[in-house]
Amino acid sequence: MQQPVSLKSAERKAFQATFADGLWDVMIGCVFLMFAVAPLLSESLGDFWSSVIFLPFWGLVYLAIWLTRRYVVAPRIGKATLGKPRQRRLVNLGFLMVIINILLLLIGMLAVFIFPSVSGFLMAVILGVVLLFGFSAAAYFLDYPRFYLYGLLLFAAALVGEWLYQNYGVSHHGYPLCYGFVSGVMIVTGLVTFRRLLKDNPLVELPVEAA
Amino acid sequence: MSEPRAKPELHPLVDIDPIIHAQGRLMILTYLYVVESADYVFLMRLTGLTWGNLATHLNKLEEAGYIEIQKKFEGKKPKSLLRMTEDGRKAFRAYKNNLKQVLDDLPE
Repeated sequence: MQQPVSLKSAERKAFQATFADGLWDVMIGCVFLMFAVAPLLSESLGDFWSSVIFLPFWGLVYLAIWLTRRYVVAPRIGKATLGKPRQRRLVNLGFLMVIINILLLLIGMLAVFIFPSVSGFLMAVILGVVLLFGFSAAAYFLDYPRFYLYGLLLFAAALVGEWLYQNYGVSHHGYPLCYGFVSGVMIVTGLVTFRRLLKDNPLVELPVEAA
Repeated sequence: MSEPRAKPELHPLVDIDPIIHAQGRLMILTYLYVVESADYVFLMRLTGLTWGNLATHLNKLEEAGYIEIQKKFEGKKPKSLLRMTEDGRKAFRAYKNNLKQVLDDLPE
């Protein structure tokens, strides 16, 4: 009927069924789209408005994902509330992500105030390591191996962007090119995963007594 | 006349709960053991059972007191959530330990 189940694999399967719909990839891809587009927008809108404009954009993306989960994904794969061990892991990951975001904010401020005196490569390495660490932690806590790859891609994007900037004069430290590529990879991966989910899980019509 | 008794070394096998031991119910309980609650669609997807099979197994598990079905509303739509009871968790742990003991004691 099915492959043999162990409690551990069953728990992982149950968790991934609620998590691996590809929409997280799309959401995170849209977040990193800011790294690619913000430097370009800052030329016309200024630093402040180029950052602020992303808040409604992310809000819309989040709303679209929430609605898609509720009206498209849930009727196909169902809903489950995670067990306590998994909830604890998510809380731990949440704390870690707060720390990483504070670190990223500090790096950003550092870059603004003392960037001229610090090697561009050093800043790129610091940013890349923080992103790699964050995504590796997320991959570990969420049992989501694809995040290791995203972490590596973001680490490489920081370094390659700086290298392109210093050697070929690519604009904005190569951010639009490199982070554009990585966010594109995330969004496309997410959409392909989502499409596969729709294909593999047709809508289930339950009889009235199931309500 | 007294009933035939199992040999002492087979006692754990006798203790295996027949309600849990059926393949479909074992799959259902395995998934409900690792989540707090789940709906029908979620269980159908993960176990591969049809609605008819799932409903039959769920009825037996509910009668045994191993699961409870909570009815609630999501907006205007009724929604049922399935949850393993504390008795169900105890029975599942006992089943797991008994089965493990039986299998561990088997010679290679």
